[in-house]
Amino acid sequence: MVSSLFINPFSEDAREIVRNYGSPDTIFEASSVLLDTVKRTRGQNLDDNSLLPGSIGDLAIKRVEWYLQRQRRGFDHGDYAYLMNPGIKEYDVIAFYVLAQAAGAGFRRGSREVRLVVESTGALVEDRFRVLGSERDEIIEEVLIELGSEGTSWMELSELIGSGKLRLTDLILHRGRVVIDEDEFLMTFQDLITDRDPRSLYAALVGLELKETMISRIIMQRTEDYIARVSEMSSTVEPHPIILETAERIRETVNEVTSFRGGPVKSAGPGKLVPDAFPPCIRGTLDGVKSGNRNDAIVLLLTSFISYARLYPSVFRDRTPLKVSDLDPDLRVIREEILPIIYEAAERCEPPLFEDDPQEKLNITAKLGFGVHDEPEPEHEGESKWYTPMSCEKIKIHLPDLCRPDDLCRRITNPLTYYNRKRWELHRGKSEQEGED
Amino acid sequence: MTSAGGSPTPSPTTTGKGGSSTGGSQNRKGRIDRIFEAATPLERKRYYREEWDVRKLPDFIARNIHMREFGFDHTGRGPSDRYRVFDDEKRLSRFMRARFPFAAYSSVAFYREPGKRRGWQRSELIFDVDAKDLPVRSCDCEGVCERCLDEAKELVLMMVDTLRGDLGLGDVHVVYSGRGYHIRVLDPGVMELGSEVRAEILRYTAGARQPRRKFTHRGESYEMEHFSIPLGYHRVFTERAKHVFLHMRGDERIENVTARTVREVVKNRDLLPDDRWGEFRRRIGPRVYPRLVAGVAGINMKMVDAKVTIDLKRILRLPTSLHSKVSMICMEVKNPETFDPLKSAVPKFVHERES
Repeated sequence: MVSSLFINPFSEDAREIVRNYGSPDTIFEASSVLLDTVKRTRGQNLDDNSLLPGSIGDLAIKRVEWYLQRQRRGFDHGDYAYLMNPGIKEYDVIAFYVLAQAAGAGFRRGSREVRLVVESTGALVEDRFRVLGSERDEIIEEVLIELGSEGTSWMELSELIGSGKLRLTDLILHRGRVVIDEDEFLMTFQDLITDRDPRSLYAALVGLELKETMISRIIMQRTEDYIARVSEMSSTVEPHPIILETAERIRETVNEVTSFRGGPVKSAGPGKLVPDAFPPCIRGTLDGVKSGNRNDAIVLLLTSFISYARLYPSVFRDRTPLKVSDLDPDLRVIREEILPIIYEAAERCEPPLFEDDPQEKLNITAKLGFGVHDEPEPEHEGESKWYTPMSCEKIKIHLPDLCRPDDLCRRITNPLTYYNRKRWELHRGKSEQEGED
Repeated sequence: MTSAGGSPTPSPTTTGKGGSSTGGSQNRKGRIDRIFEAATPLERKRYYREEWDVRKLPDFIARNIHMREFGFDHTGRGPSDRYRVFDDEKRLSRFMRARFPFAAYSSVAFYREPGKRRGWQRSELIFDVDAKDLPVRSCDCEGVCERCLDEAKELVLMMVDTLRGDLGLGDVHVVYSGRGYHIRVLDPGVMELGSEVRAEILRYTAGARQPRRKFTHRGESYEMEHFSIPLGYHRVFTERAKHVFLHMRGDERIENVTARTVREVVKNRDLLPDDRWGEFRRRIGPRVYPRLVAGVAGINMKMVDAKVTIDLKRILRLPTSLHSKVSMICMEVKNPETFDPLKSAVPKFVHERES
């Protein structure tokens, strides 16, 4: 029987293991039992020793490395097969806490390293469900009880809903409760269901899929909260040196894997802007926006769109959180090209945005990932998140007046995707024309 | 409260401005036109001195009046007089009687320092349904008329049902705004939520997201249309879609849907009051239908002013105050089922205009 520990690091059993482990002094010490378990994993590549974690500390770093590598072309599952082996569960729980503490102690909230730790945790949970086989149902039920999400109110999930990790419309709601248990579903809705078997409808609507999504999202949220608590505590209590060393190794791993120059993210890279490929909402924003929409249009929409379109248009395909300086090391492109475009559009607003709200310049800097400062400076990078462009769904709510969809808009869900598609179409059109000539 | 999903198909005899029946009395139409005339400064003054009473202020406004920012429009060009604070109802009363504003507003937010809009504590959750801005309504009036006000109310009733029934929210108030309705939710569970969660509540309540059609179970995948799932968000979407289809005139533009399909919807919508959705879908065409559903989700989003819902610091028309542009009283609706704005929200001076 697989233990719920393999899925849920927040169970009482998991906490007990961490409490009993004691000081983190030994986390980088070699563990023959762990290594043996790793080597015995079915499908594990054994031809390169650097692939195999020999200690709990290594295992912690490998969790992040796996997440970064799995988004690459040529990723070989066999390099990390041990992460799907329930035999590592006790080591893995400690590795999780080492990783989360290192993220909290070593990085700012909202930094890409923190995001990677949170996202890799969610992705591991999702992938592990797939290897559970016949025990899957039972583990899911057990973890749901451990997380206290059976019969929960949707309001308790509001952080997950607000962050987009969970959609309210995917939940089955009745009088404020999220109906997840089969008996409760039947008791509540049986009378309404007349033309099909209520149990099969339950299986379709709630089934394992929604439960798994809820579990992975709740664990991600709890990881984020835990990291935030560690971060708060580390301002008053000096973190353990091993934890800080782990943070340093996370930084090195992330830099190594995401490094643009010579690194594996080959599709990322600065390129010239192609204004003809801008979607209607961006063209409308560049023309100037009227009072009421100015702040959202300039700060939330244009800043993220222009910066990603110029520096990292493939962000949604690569799904690797790069920093501006990974792509523009001396920030010359940001200062000389991107900010002037944003500031000029702000000037064209009615009335000009900075006349009323000069502090919006600070917000623009923040949305580029350089904290709340007048100008982006390298030393402030990571104080805030480099925001990706908002989705069309969000634009429809925040800036409905700017959403004037054309034919291409109907096939995409984000203005940056529009830009990439349109650029490709323009390029193809030009090539064909040259061919004809 | 029941939902208004089974709204009647608009009468084919209804035409013209104001949406009043050609068979109806011209006198009634004339009376309605007179109601919606703007109030003169003298009429405003009379309203606030003779008819308005601060004791009619809803309790949900009065009980924390000192924590709200107030804003006023004195000229009819927008609420330029902002950051006002009143420690109690008496002070508000003195101000209203002395200044008889064109329009009065109070914040949906509660602040520690409302006069500086600082120290945000919490905000009401708001849904603004303006009859004049409904993208689908069966009348073709230029502003508002009895019919589109009724249709706005139908939508509001359905939304209140969803807020209470699905989301389990209490302390839900309906306010007639003068040209539509506000739903104001003061349930403690939502007052501290941020904009993103509010946007998600709006999507659920308005039916503004395309419902899921593809499902998988134990490796098998299959499709189910929204109308075949009688619960959860699918039920909400089905109700809202029915409302839209039953109130279309046939000349609406739906994203990614041809004018011909819109005409087909109008031609076949008589199937919907009996919930003959399967046949309706067949007549529209199974390949076109998913696009129609996506388009309706887009329309549903526009039935409610989303910016009001996501704005935590919005000021909203003050219940009991006069909407001077249309000479109607903004008021809390105690019984939305029976509420008729043309009877209950018309100030005395309008009746005197008539005589």
